[in-house]
Amino acid sequence: MPDVTIIVNGERRSASVPPETTLLKLLRENFNLTGAKLGCDVGDCGACTVIVDDQPVNACLMLAGQADGCRVLTIEGLAKKDQLHPLQKTIEESGALQCGFCGPGVILSAKSLLDQNPDPTPQDIREALAGNLCRCTGYAKFIKAVQDAALMLRGKAPVQSRRLEASEPRHG
Amino acid sequence: MDDKPKVAERERLDLADKLRRAEETLRLPAVPPREHLPVESHVLQPGQQFRVVGERVTRPDSRLHGLGLTRYIDDLSFPGMLYAKIKRAGIASARIKRIDTSAAEAMPGVMAVLTGREIPVNSFGPSYQDQPVLADEIVRHAGDGVAAVAAVTEQIAEEAAQKITVEYEPLPAVFDPLEAMREDSPRVHPPNSNIYTSKVIRRGDVEKGFAQADRIFEGRFSTQMVEHVPLEPHAAIADWDANGRLTLWVTIGRITLARADLARTLKLPMNRVRMIATIVGGNFGGKNEITQEPALALLSKKAGRPVKGVFTRSDEFISTTTRHPCIMEYKTGVARDGRILARKVRLILDGGAYCSWSETTIGKACILSCGPYRIDNILAEAFVVYTNKTMTGAMRGFGAPQVCFAYESHMDDIAKALGIDPLSIRLRNAFEEGSVSPTGQVLHSVVVKESLLKAADRFGWETRP
Repeated sequence: MPDVTIIVNGERRSASVPPETTLLKLLRENFNLTGAKLGCDVGDCGACTVIVDDQPVNACLMLAGQADGCRVLTIEGLAKKDQLHPLQKTIEESGALQCGFCGPGVILSAKSLLDQNPDPTPQDIREALAGNLCRCTGYAKFIKAVQDAALMLRGKAPVQSRRLEASEPRHG
Repeated sequence: MDDKPKVAERERLDLADKLRRAEETLRLPAVPPREHLPVESHVLQPGQQFRVVGERVTRPDSRLHGLGLTRYIDDLSFPGMLYAKIKRAGIASARIKRIDTSAAEAMPGVMAVLTGREIPVNSFGPSYQDQPVLADEIVRHAGDGVAAVAAVTEQIAEEAAQKITVEYEPLPAVFDPLEAMREDSPRVHPPNSNIYTSKVIRRGDVEKGFAQADRIFEGRFSTQMVEHVPLEPHAAIADWDANGRLTLWVTIGRITLARADLARTLKLPMNRVRMIATIVGGNFGGKNEITQEPALALLSKKAGRPVKGVFTRSDEFISTTTRHPCIMEYKTGVARDGRILARKVRLILDGGAYCSWSETTIGKACILSCGPYRIDNILAEAFVVYTNKTMTGAMRGFGAPQVCFAYESHMDDIAKALGIDPLSIRLRNAFEEGSVSPTGQVLHSVVVKESLLKAADRFGWETRP
């Protein structure tokens, strides 16, 4: 069985795997990094998205061998001890995730977009997330969360949504 | 002649290298390093209370979702765990003559094979127990499981499932719900009629209402089958331990019901079954009942090891429940000013091969079929019929979205024909405080008109192009 070595979340790791092993399987089963999910196994849903050498890829479609020698970022490598990544923060606050299964993939697709384009338009975000399906909350909250994260990454405070005050009439 | 025989050149490793490799293979798997867990936390401290009303709240589990640390079934594994695959029939209607599992059983790595005959009570269902866990005699739709395999890897299980051969005697099949309603059509569950549930709601005298009406409108509407497509497929892990106790990790939304159903199929007292509901990666009604769980439990019993089963996307589409396709016939009598005087509705729900949650669906669809309108004369009839297709069951709204599509489309047709504004005709007929629903319920806190007016105002109904 061939050896595959990848630098995953900054750590160099190797495994001997059968040649048909996908990158997703390598990450989930050999390295126990279960953040990337198996949703459809044919590259439609994007739940398995990881970042390989700065490009978001569907890990279910990439063979482990093809990733040999690459730098791979999974959702587990995004937060640091002292803080969440702005995307994780804004997505948590906006309530964009309900069942959460699509979350890791969406966050990594969005991160890859923000790495290349620090000030994306809603259309840019829609295009970047086109490969990530969500069945629970829809996409509007994701777009807002990515815009907020972009502001935070550029050092600006995101525009807070108006809070409902108890005295304020609901239908006004 | 070369007297030196050729020996295949192999990679020669010295002992240290061999040990290094062995160590790497056996090495404990990497888990997210501790430093990747952020210290800041919004989680409630003991004794602390959040103000919720009027505040923005976040989901308590969204932190874990965002970190990728939520554990769904497929993220769990246990020592010695096996992987299960279910062989699907691939034929819509047939009698099973013979199942040969010997080739699968002989494969190295296959630890257990199961067929329907080995299941103590091979039937389940939330209303009628008409669905087999694995089809044993009759296949009623192409997604019926006919055998299950547990093996040390997913790939071996898949290969073994392919090696199982089933001999079928094809039976006549019916796919169209209208055709299935006819007395001479093939029966999906003989000797019973294909119409397995019906509901009738009568109020006033619908014929008298039609006689008083200035205009009568008729419309026929239909909707298609819809699959829930939760991003996480159906998944479960079963562990039948040496004490005869069964633990299941499941993605089912209704575990108490599932536990009762499962204990029934396995002929186990319920206190022997422990069911652990993990976080569900999308349900939408599709994970409201057991599917493969009894088969996994028996595979685990046979193999003496935990067994994990995760549906493929194709399993999801062909073997799990879907939304009922509906054929909806509407006849409405209206006065010249747009008041509805009488409405007759006939709903035919395509139930697929098994009942599942059809009883609940037909009830809701029928009760809501006349819409949120004050109508004195009503006759609503609904039927669910068996066909040799993927079964239909619970899905968000239980039949309400289908009838809503029909009565609102019908309403638009009426408004157009009478030359009345679509909003006005709805306001003229909508429920008010104290209105009575078709089933006689007196309604309170009714804001249909207010909602319609508010919505029309917000999206600029009056100023539309």
